[in-house]
Formats: sequence, C-alpha cells, structure tokens
Amino acid sequence: MSEDLGTEAENTWCPGCGNFGILNSVKKAVKKLEDRGLGKEKLLISAGIGCHAKIYDYLDLSGLYSIHGREIATIQGMKFANPELEVIGFGGDGDAYGEGLSHLIYAAKRNSDITMIIHNNGNYALTTGQKSPTSEEGFKGPSTPKGSPDEPINPLTIMLSSGGSFVSRGYPGNMSHLTDLIVEAVEHKGFSLVDVLQPCVTFNDTYEKYNEAVYELEEPAENREDARKLALKEEELPIGVLYKKERPVFHEKVYPERNPVKDRIDKEERVKRMKDLIEGK
Amino acid sequence: MGKKDKFTYIIGGKAGEGVKKAGTAASNLFTKMGRKTFQMDDYQSLIRGGHNFSVVTTSKEKVYSHYKKGDLVVNIDDRSYKKHKEHLADEGVMVYDSGETEDEEGIGIPIGEIAKDYTKPDLIKGVAGLSILSVVIGLNKDELLDQVKNEYSKGVEENLSFAEKIYEKAEEKIDKRFELDEGEEQMPVMSGNESISLGAYSAGLDIYIGYPMTPASSILHFFASHKDELQVMPIHPENEIAVANMAIGGTVPGARVMVGSSGGGMALMEEAISLAGMSESAVLFVLSSRPGPSTGVPTYTEQGDLNFALNQGHGEFPLIVGSPGSVEEAFYLSGEMLELSWKYQTPAILLTEKHLSESRMNVSLELSENGWAEAKKSSSKEGEYGRYEKTDDGISPLKFPPSEEVIKWNSYESDERGITTEDPKEIKKMHDKRREKNETLIFDLQEKETVNKFGDKGPIIFTYGSTTMSVREALKLADIDARIIQPRYLRPFPVWELEDHMDEEAIVVEQSSTGQFATLLREKCSIKPKTVLRKYDGRAFEPSRLADDLKEAIS
Repeated sequence: MSEDLGTEAENTWCPGCGNFGILNSVKKAVKKLEDRGLGKEKLLISAGIGCHAKIYDYLDLSGLYSIHGREIATIQGMKFANPELEVIGFGGDGDAYGEGLSHLIYAAKRNSDITMIIHNNGNYALTTGQKSPTSEEGFKGPSTPKGSPDEPINPLTIMLSSGGSFVSRGYPGNMSHLTDLIVEAVEHKGFSLVDVLQPCVTFNDTYEKYNEAVYELEEPAENREDARKLALKEEELPIGVLYKKERPVFHEKVYPERNPVKDRIDKEERVKRMKDLIEGK
Repeated sequence: MGKKDKFTYIIGGKAGEGVKKAGTAASNLFTKMGRKTFQMDDYQSLIRGGHNFSVVTTSKEKVYSHYKKGDLVVNIDDRSYKKHKEHLADEGVMVYDSGETEDEEGIGIPIGEIAKDYTKPDLIKGVAGLSILSVVIGLNKDELLDQVKNEYSKGVEENLSFAEKIYEKAEEKIDKRFELDEGEEQMPVMSGNESISLGAYSAGLDIYIGYPMTPASSILHFFASHKDELQVMPIHPENEIAVANMAIGGTVPGARVMVGSSGGGMALMEEAISLAGMSESAVLFVLSSRPGPSTGVPTYTEQGDLNFALNQGHGEFPLIVGSPGSVEEAFYLSGEMLELSWKYQTPAILLTEKHLSESRMNVSLELSENGWAEAKKSSSKEGEYGRYEKTDDGISPLKFPPSEEVIKWNSYESDERGITTEDPKEIKKMHDKRREKNETLIFDLQEKETVNKFGDKGPIIFTYGSTTMSVREALKLADIDARIIQPRYLRPFPVWELEDHMDEEAIVVEQSSTGQFATLLREKCSIKPKTVLRKYDGRAFEPSRLADDLKEAIS
C-alpha cells in the first residue's frame, strides 16, 4: 500500500478537471480517517463506469472496479459480507442517478451502512458529452444537438424522500471542506450521500457559476422538510451536510451481532444443524 | 382389502383451499409409513380461485415421478371433479363435495357444508383430504388425528374436529380400501429447491440473495425462514440486477454467495455474469426454468433455457453449468458447483426446472459428503500481491481484506495487479490466463463424475435435468431395457464421456419444442439421435405415456 495512496496508473483526466479536487480530497480524507483510527486496510472502494471511475485506478486501495451504476450494489454486498469493513462507492451522475438510480434509492431506504460519492458533472463526459440526468434543459450534446428537451432531476430531494440518513453536497473548489465532508460521511453509521458539484472543463464548465453560487452551511437542517428547501435552492447552492439523522442500519437489523465471513459456522456444525432441520427439531 | 404397492392420490380444488398443503400432508404420511413418495404440485399463477391440484404417488421403493391416474381422487370443487374425472385409475375411488357436484359416478361427501361451521371455511377444506385418504388406506381415527396435529399446527382444535367429522362420513360412505404395506426405511421428504439450498449450505454458503420469481422463490423463502438456525444471511433487494451485483461484492471479502431466479430474472443478471467472469468472482446462480419466452407460463415446467444458460454473459470466460437429475442429486451438485466456482473463481449456473425445484420426494443424503468451497490461497511476499497473478493453471491466489496488500478486482481488462489496461500484450495475457483456467477446469472435471449412467443393456437414451426422473420411472414401470446417459455438467460439456456413443442409435428425451439438448449432443459429440421425444406443454412427462413412446421408439 503506497504511502501517498497513489498508483502507477497514468492520470488521463483533462487538465483542470474537477475530478482532481475530488481525488485529492479523498486522499486527505483517508489520511484523516487513519489518524482517527480507521486503518486503510479496512477500507474497500468501488466505482461505476465513466470519467469519475478512473479514480479507482488512481487510488492504492482495495476494492472492485464495478460496472455502470452497479457499484452501489457492489459495495452493499461487501458491507453485508463483512460489516467491519468501511465501503466507499464512487459514482457519476449518469451512473448513480441514471442507470443505477433504483440501487441508490433502495440503499438509502434500507439504510445500508455505505458512503456514495457522486461526481456530478451534468453530462456523460467519457462518452463525449451527452446529456445526463442532471443536465439543464437545453443542454447541447451529441445526442441532443438542439438542446435537451427534458428537465434535470434533483438528486438530493430524491435521497431525502428515500430515507437517506446523511445527505450532503460538496464542491472540489473547496477541498478542505470536501475533505471533512467525506470524513464525516464515512464515519456516519448508515447510508451517506455526498453529491459533488464537479465542473467538467471540456463539456460542462461550471467553475464560474459554482464559485459564485456556492456557500457553506453551518449546520444540517433540523428536519427533512427544511433540508428539502435547501436542496431546492437554485440561485445559491449550499454545500455541507443538508440532513443527518442516525437510524438502524440494514445488516444489523438482519443480524444484530453477526459477521457472515468472520462468524462462519464450520462444516461439522453445519451437518448437525441440517440434521436437526431435517428431523424437524 | 386389496393390497397395493404403487398408489396415487390426487387432490384438487381452488387456490386458497389448502390443496398444496393437503398434498404435502399426504406425502408426509406415506413417509412416516416408511414408504417413498413423489409429490407434484400443479398450481396456477394466482392467489384465489382457479384450479390447483397435487398428485402424490407412493411405493415401497423410490418413486421418481407422479402418475396421472389416481387410485384416490378427492375433489374439493366441481371444476376439479370435471377435470379429474378422466384421471381415475381402474378400480379407483372418486370423491367429490356433494354440495358442489351432482353425479352418480363417485362418492359425495358434504365437505363444504361441514366446513361452514369453522372459522376458515375455505382453507379448512384441504384437511378433508387427509381424512378421506386415511379411511381409504385403512388408518384408524387416532392415527389420523395424530397426523392432523403434526401437519396442521394452526387452529388445531378446529382442524381435529373437522377432520374427525369428515373421517366419519367417509368411513360410512366409502367401501373400498387399499392396503399399503409399511416401507423399510423412513427417508426425509424434501423439494428440489430445499435440496439445492442444503447442498450449498453444506459446502459453506454464507449469504443467499434473491428477488421473487417462480419457481426459484422458495429458495429465498427457505433461507429467510431458517435464518436463525442456519445463519445464512437472506437478502431480498430491489431487483435482480442488485441481486447479482451484491453477490459479486460479497465475494470480495470472501463470502460464499448463491443467488437464484427464473429466466426473466436471469436475463437481468446477465450483465453481472460477465462481470463475474471478468473480475473472477465465484457466485453460484440457480436458474430454475418455467416455460418461456418472456413471462411465459410462470408456475409450470420446461427445459427451454438450456441454450440461454450455456451462453450466459458477453465476452469469453470460463462458465460452469450443471443440472441435477434428481432431488437427491441437487444436494450434491449444488455443493460441488459452489466448490468449483470458488476453486476456479468464476460464475457457475445450476440449471433446473420447476419440475425438480418444486416437486418433493424422499431422499437419503450423506450430509457430510460435500466438499468445502475454498479459494487458492496466496503465499506472496509483502508488496508482491497481484489479484490477477498469472500462474501455470490460470488460477490466481486470493487474499481477503482486511489486508496490508492492495487487492484490486476489476471489470476492465487489467494487469496482474488489477489496474486497468489497454496494452495489447496485457490483454492477450489475461485472455490466455482465463482460457488456461478453463483448461484446468476441464482437466479437473475429467476426474469427476460428470455423467450419470443408468442401466447396462439396451439402446441409449440421452436426457438431462428433471426429465431424467421421468425417464427412470418410465423404464422401471414398463421394464424396458435401456441405458440412460445423463450429463450432470453441460458446460464444460463432458465430451470425453460421450464420445464412445457417437455411432450408436440413440433416443433423446427433453422438454423443449426445438430440441436444444439434441442439438447440443450433435454439435459437441456428433451424436445423431434417431428419435427425439419432446414435450412442451408445461407439464412434465408422465411415466406410463412416456413408457409407451419409448417402447415405440425402440422397436
């Protein structure tokens, strides 16, 4: 495991891409988490497919490079199998808010103890800039040369309506804020979403807009209704934790104490249990 | 009282009248007598109404199929009576509800009228089956009531009272009795899906993930209802795509995971099967078929998914496909396939059909016989670990987190360490690695029992999956000399076992309208069958009819 968490993979993001800020914030967050007692050997990552997902190759951390939208399911499987591990999934907006949206909604609903970081850049950059679920109406790309006819979705309100127990937004233009946000998201017990406003310098350059609109929240909203109001803001864009409230997590509701891979029942005991079951005991 | 060895009991009624339970109660009763049974439940895709029936055939020796003609037919509603009128065996007893049916042939018992006095007048009707059966096979009232207590634990008092009243009526009205000898050994009775579940459990299963789809749902129900005794984590997520991808995620920390569905759900999982092939994740998929295409006929049986199973996943990777030929074999095969899947770090598909998944029969299982699913362990020095290390046999040693080593799995083509690559040398190397892994697998399978052969003389009959049970029963019934050859593994296809039979005149029996299995035999082993017996009406082969067809094909 390399000290700076980097790998030998050549970085192929465009110069100035918002992903660099996310990568650096993640690296800093992992260091901080280590200082706070979470060894990086206990951290597993996954990613979908898209520009965001290249972060998997750039981080010297264990995990599985998943497929489009499915990383949300992948990391839940990891967590359920061994709950002592912490899992982080990286997704794009096309990835997690499009192809994998049902997984995201259900992960929030069942309160799986996972962290999803969404590189939300408002387009499908790796496939040359088509519109995405969060593209503005009128967005021009190769699949909508005259402008996108449909309106964007608001992922934060969807997460708030789906039972998300930690719903937040970050901005790579403010790296120290994003770093702390990721630390808090990973440490939150339950489903955490970090929607990252990621400028895409090639297809959807939003630096200027975000630099003007973004402001830091001092504290989370009191309730979901107030958090919704924050999420719906358009002129000003709050970053930070919009809503946070702990509630029981899925794997502990199924087995309060059990770790499936660590507490595996041995063969002999299994034979005994099968016998009892068959004999109706 | 007439002595009888093979005896068939049919009970029919509407959904919600306890018909399936009545069939189970009967097979449990025969089991208690040390006899062997085969129970086939025929039900429709609905919750109330319609027509459901259960057929239970029993004999002192193992029975591998239900029979169409009943020695005792109990009809809880008139629709059943009309439908099963032609299913009465010579000398058989036909019973109907006298409040529903008016006919001179058969015996009317006021089942519905008596049931009216109870809290659940519809559901309780099924209990009548056990009472009437007890009368016909000469059990006394106490024996019946004991059995009712065992079988119907909810609302015991009402069930006992109802069972007794029906027993008295039946005793008064039915003259005929069949004497069934006790059998030699009590063997537990279970469904194919239970057998599949236990087989995987015995080989180390940790987690079962499923989204409801008949006829695979009962595996999910099994693990959910036994979650505390067996401690296999049951998960029912949002859809089959989540099912398969969670399963793959679960293998990264080392959990042994099985998933299951029918054709439609499997189609949704196909994207993940490719991911499992590329990332080298060991997941056991159960594909329990019903007639397709599409929604098809949800609660019936067919072997139309053979090609679908064999060709799962885009791209080239090792895939294991096997299909059990009996409820008993399902236990051993699912254990062995979970083990193979882990040994080769590749997906495996246990292909079966509704007829095996949901039929119940007696089994004698060696519970400790199955192996234990393990992956090749790494002995690499610190800092040298590569998830996809190239080895002579194509199998990379596996490490599980938490680990100081970085363990990188990938859906992209990657280098040995697991970092994405587009380098032509690396691409070729990894393709070679996966192909070599497949070669090792084939070599390994050559040492295993990949094919079952039954019988030592006569013409050859090729069959597979649940149809094997029908063929075995038909041959026994008609005392036909023939050799059954049933591949347990369908991919890699055990050509080495079948090559010797290339030039023999063979018969193929399968439940597919286009003869997919016959085509497979032709393609893989140049076997040219002279007759292909196909059935594709959603129902399993019936042994008496199949025996006639086989005799004709042989002559």
